[in-house]
Amino acid sequence: MSTESPSTIAKVLKPTILILIAIVAISSRLFSIIRFESVIHEFDPWFNYRTTQHLVKNGFYDFWNWFDEKSWYPLGRVVGGTVYPGIMVTSALIHNVLHFFNFPVDIRNVCVFLAPMFSGLTAFSAYLLTKELKDSSAGLLAAAFLGVAPGYISRSVAGSYDNEGIAIFLLVFTFYLWIKAVKTGSAFFGLLTALFYFYMVSAWGGYVFITNLVPLHAFTLLLMGRFSNRLYVSYSTFYAVGTLLSMQIPFVGFQPTRTSEHMAALGVFGLLQLYAFAELIRGYIPPKQFQTLLKGGIAAVAIIAAVGLTILSFSGVIAPFTGRFYSLYDTGYAKIHIPIIASVSEHQPTAWTSFFFDLQMLIFLFPAGVYLCFKELKDEHVFIILYSVFASYFAGVMVRLMLTLTPVVCVSAAIAYSTLLDTYLETSKHVLAVTSPDATAIAAPVDVTPEVKPAGNGAGTGSKKAAAKAAAAAAAAAKTPAKSADTDAKAQAKAAAAASGKKRYPIFNFDSRALVVLQLTWFLFMFAWHCTYVTSGSYSSPSIVLASRQQDGSQMIIDDFREAYYWLRKNTKEDAKVMSWWDYGYQMAGMANVTTLVDNNTWNNTHIATVGKAMSTSEEVSYKVLRQHDVDYVLILFGGVIGYSGDDINKFLWMIRIAEGVYPNDVKEANFFTPRGEYKVDHDATKTMKESLMYKMSYYRFAELYGGGNAVDHVRSARMPAEGPTLSVLEEAYTTENWLVRIYKVKDLDILGRDLKDSTAFDKGKVRKVSSLKRK
Amino acid sequence: MGQRRRTFFFTVALATLLTLLITSTATLFTNAQTTDDLIAKKISRLQAKAAKTKGVIELDSLAFEDVLAQPRNYSMVILFTAISPEFQCAPCKNFDPEYRLVAAGWSKIPDKSQIFFGILDFKAGQSIFQKFNMNSAPSLLYFPATDSSASSPSFDRYDFGKSGFQAEPFANWVNARSGLHIKVQRPFDFVAFALKVMGVTGALGLAHFLYSRGGKVIRSRYLWVAVSLFLIFIFISGHMWNQIRHPPYSMPSRDGRPGFIAAGFQNQFGLETQIVSILYAVLCGGAISLMSSIPRIDSPPRQRLAVIVWVAVITVMYSILLLFFRAKNPSYPYRLLF
Repeated sequence: MSTESPSTIAKVLKPTILILIAIVAISSRLFSIIRFESVIHEFDPWFNYRTTQHLVKNGFYDFWNWFDEKSWYPLGRVVGGTVYPGIMVTSALIHNVLHFFNFPVDIRNVCVFLAPMFSGLTAFSAYLLTKELKDSSAGLLAAAFLGVAPGYISRSVAGSYDNEGIAIFLLVFTFYLWIKAVKTGSAFFGLLTALFYFYMVSAWGGYVFITNLVPLHAFTLLLMGRFSNRLYVSYSTFYAVGTLLSMQIPFVGFQPTRTSEHMAALGVFGLLQLYAFAELIRGYIPPKQFQTLLKGGIAAVAIIAAVGLTILSFSGVIAPFTGRFYSLYDTGYAKIHIPIIASVSEHQPTAWTSFFFDLQMLIFLFPAGVYLCFKELKDEHVFIILYSVFASYFAGVMVRLMLTLTPVVCVSAAIAYSTLLDTYLETSKHVLAVTSPDATAIAAPVDVTPEVKPAGNGAGTGSKKAAAKAAAAAAAAAKTPAKSADTDAKAQAKAAAAASGKKRYPIFNFDSRALVVLQLTWFLFMFAWHCTYVTSGSYSSPSIVLASRQQDGSQMIIDDFREAYYWLRKNTKEDAKVMSWWDYGYQMAGMANVTTLVDNNTWNNTHIATVGKAMSTSEEVSYKVLRQHDVDYVLILFGGVIGYSGDDINKFLWMIRIAEGVYPNDVKEANFFTPRGEYKVDHDATKTMKESLMYKMSYYRFAELYGGGNAVDHVRSARMPAEGPTLSVLEEAYTTENWLVRIYKVKDLDILGRDLKDSTAFDKGKVRKVSSLKRK
Repeated sequence: MGQRRRTFFFTVALATLLTLLITSTATLFTNAQTTDDLIAKKISRLQAKAAKTKGVIELDSLAFEDVLAQPRNYSMVILFTAISPEFQCAPCKNFDPEYRLVAAGWSKIPDKSQIFFGILDFKAGQSIFQKFNMNSAPSLLYFPATDSSASSPSFDRYDFGKSGFQAEPFANWVNARSGLHIKVQRPFDFVAFALKVMGVTGALGLAHFLYSRGGKVIRSRYLWVAVSLFLIFIFISGHMWNQIRHPPYSMPSRDGRPGFIAAGFQNQFGLETQIVSILYAVLCGGAISLMSSIPRIDSPPRQRLAVIVWVAVITVMYSILLLFFRAKNPSYPYRLLF
């Protein structure tokens, strides 16, 4: 590894480069802001934004005790106890500090720009981490890689105000501190690790990754026979302080002592104590007695632990794995048991294309970096190896966990890349002397040393081949001497072989240097283009504002969501209850300020299934559910007019599946499929499908748009019947410009006590009812 | 006298009427008996058949119509399959033993007259396949017990896509509909058991070997490098996706599209991921040799040659990888050589 250059230029360059990297990292995340406007994206961020607003407006204690009656109607939600408050507190703090210094920045802008700002910090922590592993040049590369890697940008563009935005910084920085702590063995760094771990726990559920990786590292070091006081001090400090702190977050509470996810950390903590105790005893007792004591001690501890664990898990003190976590280990679990987890796209497994899309050339430099870690294999390299293997597995199981893989890929690829550059750029005599301790070897190519040398000299010079030859010759010459001399020669030959195996020469030719460096530079350019392309094209659409190209190439902005939410905000009574599928819950609460039945915090499967039932059953059944839940409006997404494929009819199967899980008698998935097993919405749609509330709401008056003929659903490219469905328990309240959002008002009970179906028919002036009355 | 005759006449008439009444009721009664008899006969016939073949009744078109014909007070589960080799129906073959496993559970339920398990092979019942508009096999239908004499009996279809091809979910599905408790008892798998025993002995042996060698093997860095890199390569090339989604290994090529590349960005075949992992391995190997092996070469011309070869290999492989990626994502704009 190259040594640090002490020149003043380097001293100036490093911070400059780091600042530039931070600027690049921040600015490459601003595409969506520049193209559209400063808005919060997606779904979850809207909840975070809403709670942050509440925090800034009402203060911390009110936020902590906030009972939100506007979500999960009629249940409500205890917000303080069910959120990771890290991100809200962070932005409120920034907001208040700025206001203290009289910068009147709106809280929305703080929220929008929080993730890009933290990405600059993440790049800096990647620099620190890599510097601990190799040197500062690799650190700079790692910072640059992590700054622009799409795998991280995907969750940290401006406006994506989500936990991951700050959590990845905390993840990398906690790992840096941990490595620093293990290296120095200082309780100070252990304490810092614990503090940042606490920050991480308060910010993201993914803290479990740290909770398991750090103990795994400690345990592996223990297995490798690398127990040291450094490890003992750093881990004990980290675990004791970190766990106590993490229990202060209400959402985490007593989990660290109960759930299986946290058991590894506790187990390793106990193991380290026992190991350290044994080491202490060893110093005071004769070895033989110590052996006996050790054996007895191990047996006793094993028995106590086994009995204790069995009792605790049977008495229910230790909870089993939670569903989301369990689905990481048993990959078939979620599909069968928890449709609500299987339905979320970010919980899907990762195809190879996603890996390449998110990491491009880093993905194949990454294993090379892991290989280099193996060559070095100090305590901190063991950590990177463990991190690489486990993060690769988790990223493969769940797309979302690409986020935890990306930092280690960048660090590891940077190590590989900078080693390549070291090898092919190094010219200084000083380094040459370091990399090849034997300068004479350069001048002594293999074929020029055929003559037999004394075996003793062979160890110093000569290549592997020559050394072996020398050894063989020495052995042949020394046939008569004693056997001990023979083995001695062999040992020396072995040493010679080992020395020559480590021997490195510089790259002799300028053209080979240039070739490799050019290739690497070109790859770097391609990587930069790729990152920009991916960020701009795929990860920078706010999803609440859609952009499409018109035929003449001009851009058309589709702003139906905000149109609909604004309509709801302005035209409904303050406590109006709006039912929709859970995807839109947070957005409705945040933008329309209405009461929602279900939202993106999918903790209550039954309630979600109830909404699914209301959507997928006939009007009569559904009306009962709607009345029971005081629903005033129903909101759906319909993409059939403009071809927006993420609409509710396409999500409908999940609603049916989730509803069937709870109400198997009311909803049957099979009834929505034609006898040929197809999911159809046109003439061939099944009776159940045509009678379902979702179908009716989606296609109500759809055919009229086409003047009675050739109504075509552009998402499913289906030709719709000329006569659309009729609604009797709902009436259309609002449909947005591009028909993307449709809002229906739930009718009140008929004032004459009639069936709503009859009264609708009566209002339409159909005389059939009257004639039937006459006949009676 | 006249009075007497009249009385006699009435008596006779009454008696005749009575007889008539009795006979007619008797005929009615016998009629009812025949319906019950018919069902009982059918059931005993089916039971005999099923008992012979471990709960499964092999059907053809005629038998199919017969078992489902009215009167019927039992439910039928019927598997529409195409087991003959010329149809190349792999799922049919996979599901067949599972189906028979559930059907074998039939002989253990106390009341054997409520449900029967039938198999209709495409060869034996082509007309039925047509009648039910069946264009894929296997299909699994449940015909609940019914009294209605509608020409086409109502049925429930088992969803293989959702519930899979295992016996247990299928048994649950049948139990939920019939109210019975059919249990799946897998026969003891001696092969699997033997394999397990061998595996455990092997692992123990290996552990002993490693231990007796003073941990030399287990401490070998090369072993751990190989294991870690292998794991990383298969994970980053989408192996877990294959584990979860079970895609086909490859498909016959169609309209110029190579058969090993799956259409769609979020879709992949088994062969495809293997190719990708090999590409990654070669590229990574290239990088490793550039930084580790080449500086070990001591003759300038050989070193130059090695550098050129490896740079060429990396460039070509990376170009292939990008080409591969463009095949998955046609709008991807970057390329290296081709």
